[in-house]
Amino acid sequence: MSTDSRVEDLLRELAPQVLGALARRHGQFDACEDAVQEALLAAALQWPDGGLPDSPRSWLLAVASRRLVDEWRSDSSRRRREEAVAVLDVPGQPTDQDDTLTLLFLCCHPSLSVPSQLALTLRAVGGLTTAEIATALMVPVTTMAQRISRAKQSIKSAGVRFGLPAEAERADRLMVVLRVLYLVFNEGYTTSSGPALLRADLTSEAIRLARMLHRLMPAEGEVVGLLALMLLTDARRAARTTADGSPVPLDEQRRELWNTAQIEEGVALITSTLGAVPVGPYQLQAAIAAVHDESASAEETDWPQIRALYEVLERVLPSPVVTLNRAVAVAMVDGPRAGLAVLGTLDSDDRLAHTHRLEAVRGHLLELAGEAAAARESYRRAARMTASLPEQRYLALQAARLG
Amino acid sequence: MKYMIMTFGEAATMMETKSKDWITDMIQFMHTLDEDLRQSGELVDAQGLADGSQAKTVRFLDGLPVATDGPFAESKESLVGYWVVDVDGEERAIEIASRIVAFVEEPIEVRQIMDAPPEV
Repeated sequence: MSTDSRVEDLLRELAPQVLGALARRHGQFDACEDAVQEALLAAALQWPDGGLPDSPRSWLLAVASRRLVDEWRSDSSRRRREEAVAVLDVPGQPTDQDDTLTLLFLCCHPSLSVPSQLALTLRAVGGLTTAEIATALMVPVTTMAQRISRAKQSIKSAGVRFGLPAEAERADRLMVVLRVLYLVFNEGYTTSSGPALLRADLTSEAIRLARMLHRLMPAEGEVVGLLALMLLTDARRAARTTADGSPVPLDEQRRELWNTAQIEEGVALITSTLGAVPVGPYQLQAAIAAVHDESASAEETDWPQIRALYEVLERVLPSPVVTLNRAVAVAMVDGPRAGLAVLGTLDSDDRLAHTHRLEAVRGHLLELAGEAAAARESYRRAARMTASLPEQRYLALQAARLG
Repeated sequence: MKYMIMTFGEAATMMETKSKDWITDMIQFMHTLDEDLRQSGELVDAQGLADGSQAKTVRFLDGLPVATDGPFAESKESLVGYWVVDVDGEERAIEIASRIVAFVEEPIEVRQIMDAPPEV
């Protein structure tokens, strides 16, 4: 690993700790965030050539504090306001862990829109620059700068204190955090638009943040579940598209391309939590991914096990998408007709009636049932409905294949 | 100079008339084209739009904006995708468009993207 990337990894590890400590001390999240970004930039310029300071964390904290004070001095009326806030010190001796966790909860505050939660988390907790986030999410840099600035403004005007959410709302708030991390992962994983290479970085970033959260909250089953789900899904990355970006369905993937180290880690994680804590949707999805990942071939897939897991998932978190996936498992166990019967129950469900996935799965099951003409029509309908270009081409190809 | 190279129609409907081999070749062609334009440093952006059947048109009716299903234009005139390229001049933009037309055998529109105001 080069010095540059070692410095970068270290900076991104320290970023939330330094920002957390500063925000706890001064209670002014938006100003602190700017100051920490400047300190990170200074470090990125100085450390690779000048060498690491004795305590990188203290160095960053000192530089960021100085920037903060400079900023306040440049505006005297503002300084009075800031000083009034600065005395708002939280008692006790919180740790870096608390600070990072508090920061994550703050960035995923329910008062922010989902795109804002995502952007702010990547910047304040992930330590990415605005330009990096803009590139990864494929929006102009000025737009992203404005989105982040408005998000910080919202937190300020909502009067959110820098502290962990109250015990009573902690579980709900954690669900928001997990959803944001999963969205970051999916942004990177789905190659629905844009240059695939850039977006893979978001996948790694989501896994890094999920690992961090897992270190901070090791006893939370759903945190373990999310990390395992990400690892077990990302393990198939190299096999899931062809060189020209076309999707490859699970049963046609070259399994020797799967990342065995990630599969082992994911399986170990999910095994450690299942049965030990109340089961949640991320754990169940990770368990399903594990069954797929551990099958040596598509034919050897333990479909009865997958069907059973989807049945539990449907009870824990009923949704038409889960039913859709259960229909596939039912088809693999009891034949395509049985799967089509499950799909039939979704036709009246408005939430899914107009999405391409229902038609794509129906096309697949009709084809398995030997109904080529009806399968072709379903594939065609799905091709017209999808919002993913590679998927549209894939579905058109399936229809054309059936003559 | 920046140009927008636009294709019209409906991708999904169009592909319904094509063979499996043609679609496979088309996927490869589009991938190679985007890669070539990226390598040459000319690609600014390339996007495909979801099928026109999924579009909504918002009209001003009785003093209020009202959303209705479907695209504004006839489906054969409806925008389906575009490339934005930054090239030496119109000749090069037409050359790129010609390469696409030679493959898809459908007309393609090439239009310059307007500049910022001139220096005064």
